[in-house]
Order: sequence, then structure tokens, then C-alpha cells
Amino acid sequence: MTRTNYPDLIKELAFTDFKLRYHNSVLGYLWSLLNPLLLFGVLYMVFSVFLRFEVDNYPVYLLFGIVIWSFFSESTLGAMNSLINKASLIKKIYFPRSILIISSNLTTSFGFLLNFLVFLVFFFGAGLRPSLNFLFIIPYFIVLLMIIVGVSLLISSIFIRFRDLSHIWGVLLQLGFWITPIVYPLGFVPEKYHFWILLNPIARIIFDVRNAIMYSIVPSPESIIGVFLFSLIILFIGYFTFRKLSPRFAEWL
Amino acid sequence: MVIAIQLDKVSKKFRIPLDKQDGLKGSLISLLSGKANYREFPALKDISFSVQKGEFIGIIGPNGSGKSTLLKIIANILRPDHGKMRINGDLSPFLELGLGFQGELSGKENIYLYGTVLGMSKKEIDTKMKNILAFSELKDFMTMPLKNYSSGMHVRLAFSVAIQAKSDILLFDEVLAVGDASFQNKCYKYFKSIKGKKTVLFVSHDLNSIQQYSDRAILIQNGRVVANGATKKVIDYYSRKQSTH
Repeated sequence: MTRTNYPDLIKELAFTDFKLRYHNSVLGYLWSLLNPLLLFGVLYMVFSVFLRFEVDNYPVYLLFGIVIWSFFSESTLGAMNSLINKASLIKKIYFPRSILIISSNLTTSFGFLLNFLVFLVFFFGAGLRPSLNFLFIIPYFIVLLMIIVGVSLLISSIFIRFRDLSHIWGVLLQLGFWITPIVYPLGFVPEKYHFWILLNPIARIIFDVRNAIMYSIVPSPESIIGVFLFSLIILFIGYFTFRKLSPRFAEWL
Repeated sequence: MVIAIQLDKVSKKFRIPLDKQDGLKGSLISLLSGKANYREFPALKDISFSVQKGEFIGIIGPNGSGKSTLLKIIANILRPDHGKMRINGDLSPFLELGLGFQGELSGKENIYLYGTVLGMSKKEIDTKMKNILAFSELKDFMTMPLKNYSSGMHVRLAFSVAIQAKSDILLFDEVLAVGDASFQNKCYKYFKSIKGKKTVLFVSHDLNSIQQYSDRAILIQNGRVVANGATKKVIDYYSRKQSTH
């Protein structure tokens, strides 16, 4: 039972999902850009008109956090739903089940790439220019992908047994959004909480990369190594949980 | 003789939930009350048989006897609780024709989608596109969304893609009950053409087509192999048994 065309299957499933998601909507693919931009618009109005934070280039600061957080939340939610949406495939044919998770993450990655281009427009529009520090994006995005794949594998395989998880995860993502310095600066929070806030690897990624590309603050090696090890652990936990549970998916769905 | 499929005392039980209690609450209740929230249903019991390479096997039995479960285990979709299984060769299961078809997408897009689901590469599909269009006779409908296809066209498209699979072991589960006479005729020709070349397990309630194609038949009842041998004998035995009930 050797089949070697899994890359084509992953691509095909990912593109199909991307096509279907915006099918029949007037604005089509634009929605994948509009969603985070509209969230940005709402938050920007509230936090620059009603409330004010002392942050240089606040729109760029805010949009970066939103783009990264949306990528994480849409990917993990999408991965959970992908197993349910593809139940008929799981029940009727064999292929490694992780293909569904990878292709779901690939779908949201297209959206992320588009959103990141929009962020770059804002970045240049604000008069900022990339320095060598921009290269820090590369290792941090690799770490971000590792976390997304790891968390997706973990929660999607548990979700098949415990459907309550999608509601719980939705609440946790809300909580995570607000305890991460996305709309406010870290300095806004009492210093004793900083350690705990930055323990969240997504918060760490947003904080470090934003500092590097916007304020030329180079992240410490401990920070990079720490978040890398953390994401490696998440990836392993996700991988082994998924590997243990996936042979029974067809029965549970 | 080369063995393509060998099953040795394969058993499978399903857990049937007593109440519909998915989620945390259901698990908590069954955990706290200390009672299992399900009963076990043995779907397959000690199934043993082997299939030679190139054999065409008909599998018959009443509804709920375990035929589909058996195919799913052979296709690696379900994991057996006990027993050993050996598969020798590439395998394609056709438990549903047009698996993964998307009504919103065009005929052509669905050919690529279904083809890759069946394990073909994009390149392979490109080279086989001519055959697929010719066999399905749907060349003029390729840009039409699948939801506007009739059910006959739907099956024709699916079957035309399915027969491109190059695997040497094919599993069919009651997939040819539809289509008009000319399409049925095409299917008949296709099965004739693969007979002896590919190993086929063919589940059907249509005893005529079982009789027509199979070298051998296996009767399954209540999760057990009840008869295994010459097609005519097994079918006669099954018919006699059914009429005495």
C-alpha cells in the first residue's frame, strides 16, 4: 500500500478549500484580507480615538499583532474543523490523516501570506524601512509554523472525541488575544506579569519580531532558543498524540 | 501462486453508545457513574481467508453482516482488534464512487480532486484526461458545476476517474447500482478487461453480477465467513438459506 503522491493530495485539498471558502461571495478572495483589516479598523478606532497608548507607529504595531494572531487562531480552528468536514474521506479511504491537517494549515498560510503583504504596505506607508533585523522574521516564522502544526495536530485529534473542545478553544483564543500585547504595549502591564505573558510562545514571537523590525531591538539568543525549544516540544506532543489517535478516527467520526 | 490478501482470524468490535452523549458531559457522566456508556457489538469474528493474485472474489451477505467493515479493514481504514492481515500490492478502495466530490466545483476540477484522493499525481491525471473524457462521454460538461449534473452523469464521471487507478488490488462496495444500460455495458466491459489481471473484492447484493464476474464467492453472516468457494455453490447456498427464513 505505497502511494507516493501525497504532496499533490495536500496541494489539491488546500487549493480546493481556499477556492470553496470564498465561493459565491461577491468579494471572493478579498475577504481573506478584509477580515483582519476590519478587526484592525475596529481596534484602531477604539484604541487610538477613545483610548490612547504611547506607541510609535501604532497602526503598524497593531496590525502586526493582529496578522500573526489571526494566522494562529484561524489555522488551529480550521484544522479542528477539517477532520469533521472531511469525515467522508476518513471513513472511505486510507491516507495518512495528518495530510488533512497539513493541507488545512496550508490553506490558512495562503491567507497569511496575503495579509503579510498588506502589513508590508502599512509598514512602508508609515515611513519605516527594513534593516538587517528584518531577517529575524525567518527563524520566528519557522517557529510559528511549528507551533501551529503542533497545536493543530494535538487539538484536532482530541476534538474528534470531545466536541466541546471547539467552544473551549474559541474562548481560549479570545483570552489569548487579550493577554498578548497585541493592542497594548507590554509596558502597560505591571512588570511582575511580563514573564508569564511572554511564556506564551505566540506572544513571544509577536513581541520579539515587532521589536526587531520596528524598533531595532535585537531579540536575545536565550529568547530565540527558548521559544524554539518550546515549539519543538509542542510539535512533538502534537505529533505523538495524533499518531496515537488517528488510526481510530474512522471509527469515532 | 502469489497471495494478494491474507486474513488470519481478524476480529473487530464496535462500541455502540447507549445514549447520544458526545462531548465532555457524556464522558464525565459515564466516568462518574462507573458504568460503560456503550455496549460492544462484534462486527467481525475470526475472519480468515486468502485471495490469490488476479482472483475476482464476490462477497455476499445480508445487510449488517460485516461486509463493509471487512473491506474497510482490508483498506486500512479501520484497525482490527485481533488477528493478522497481509496485503501484497497497491490497493484502491472504492467504497463510494466520487468520494470528496464538490458540487460547487466544475467537472474538471472534480476530476483532479477525486484523482488525487485516489492517489494519482496531477501529471498522471493530465495524461489520462483524454481517456477519462472519452469513457465518461462528458466532454461538453467539463466547465459545468457538478451540482448541475444528473445522478447518472455524476456516477459516470466518478467511475471514469476510478478506473484509471493503477493499483493491482481493487475493492468495490456496492458501487454500480446506477447508470443506464449503455453505461452498465461499459462497466461490464471494464470488469471483463481487468479480470485475471487485477485482484478484485466485489461486494454486492446483486447476485447476478456476482455470478457473472466472480471466480469465487464468500458468504458472510453475522460477522463470520459462512461459505467460501465456487460462486454458484455459495450463491445457491445463500439463496436456500434466505428462502427458509
